[in-house]
Amino acid sequence: MPSVILCPACDLAHRRTAPQRSGRTRCARCHALLQRPEGAAIDTAIALAVCCLVLLWLANAYPLVAMQVNGSSRETTLMGAAAGFYTQGYATLAVLVLLTTVIIPLVEVASLLYILIPLRRERAAHGQRAVIRLLTRVRPWSFMEVFMLGALVALVRLSKFAHVVPGSALWSSALLMLCMAALTSITSPEQLWRWTVPGHPRGADHE
Amino acid sequence: MSDPATGRSLGLLICLDCRLTVRDVKSADSNCPRCSASLCVRKPHSLAVTTTLLISAALLYLPANLLPVMDTRTFFDDENDTIMSGVLVLLHSGSWPIAVLVFIASIIVPLLKILALGVLVFSAYAHSPRGRLQRSQLYRMLEFIGRWSMLDIYAISLLATLVQVESFASITVGWGAWAFGAVVVLTLLAAHTFDERLLWDEPCA
Repeated sequence: MPSVILCPACDLAHRRTAPQRSGRTRCARCHALLQRPEGAAIDTAIALAVCCLVLLWLANAYPLVAMQVNGSSRETTLMGAAAGFYTQGYATLAVLVLLTTVIIPLVEVASLLYILIPLRRERAAHGQRAVIRLLTRVRPWSFMEVFMLGALVALVRLSKFAHVVPGSALWSSALLMLCMAALTSITSPEQLWRWTVPGHPRGADHE
Repeated sequence: MSDPATGRSLGLLICLDCRLTVRDVKSADSNCPRCSASLCVRKPHSLAVTTTLLISAALLYLPANLLPVMDTRTFFDDENDTIMSGVLVLLHSGSWPIAVLVFIASIIVPLLKILALGVLVFSAYAHSPRGRLQRSQLYRMLEFIGRWSMLDIYAISLLATLVQVESFASITVGWGAWAFGAVVVLTLLAAHTFDERLLWDEPCA
């Protein structure tokens, strides 16, 4: 392990101190985060990822919201919302919505499971490097939490002239948002690479 | 004040993908030994790429705010909503916290992002030594809040999909929404291509 850490935000060189088990280290000059807490258990990450996968399925399979006006009722799913843009001739926006709320979260969770399950048995998944890199690159484009707030705004606007019923997918999306946040925080790229080192503790290594 | 030791002065560089410290490899296209991402001392052409993206975003900011994002047709009238009038509708219907939220996320944040990134690019270009820490923190804040501008796009997608009740009301998406989506994506990309470390680099002696 190299004895020097460079700040990714200002390039200042720091001497690596004893491994941080708890708490974070910040850059002395620009206060950027240098080291995140280590020691998350790989089992926790797998459990959370499985949970996210189930919630993703629920959030996509069931209607998000139903609206009732004059006895007629309409409902939509997450993908239906993206398709709404498509049918109105805005394919770019449809792709943007589909990518940021369905495809990228799915890629994120699936690729994590793909590398974590073999790692748990001290094996490396085929193409591990490329998958971890893909994960790091797509992660900033997963916008589940923003979508939740957008859905809330739409509900408020609709509720003025229609009866709006939140669907089960809306609740699943809210839970998904929380689970994804927890999952992201314990599977930073540094942590993933740490798990790939043979013999690195995979369990909760707090004494 | 003596120059502090940086990766550049020590001949070390950091892989931005996996954060491994790598001994500076002289060949032009070297890859990280751990994750095989391509390595660079600074993001290539960072200032030029960021500036281009910013100018495109600034140009689209006008149509995004002036063109209607939604066209609501009911029995009685036909109403074109821009982003701002959408905020006013929310305000008049009594949900002011949501109105403030949308106003900040859709109008203030993109504008702030374009202006602030412009200042950051300029100061990096000029190697300004003043307020480096503050500028660095400003950049990190921009990176964090940028994504929330997508909020309106999601709201519009839901409204346009749900409100298609025969002979009662229908909502059609306008080109303002397209321009707005483009502004959000362009500013996100601009923040992403900007290399923060340029704020701290001393001019080459």
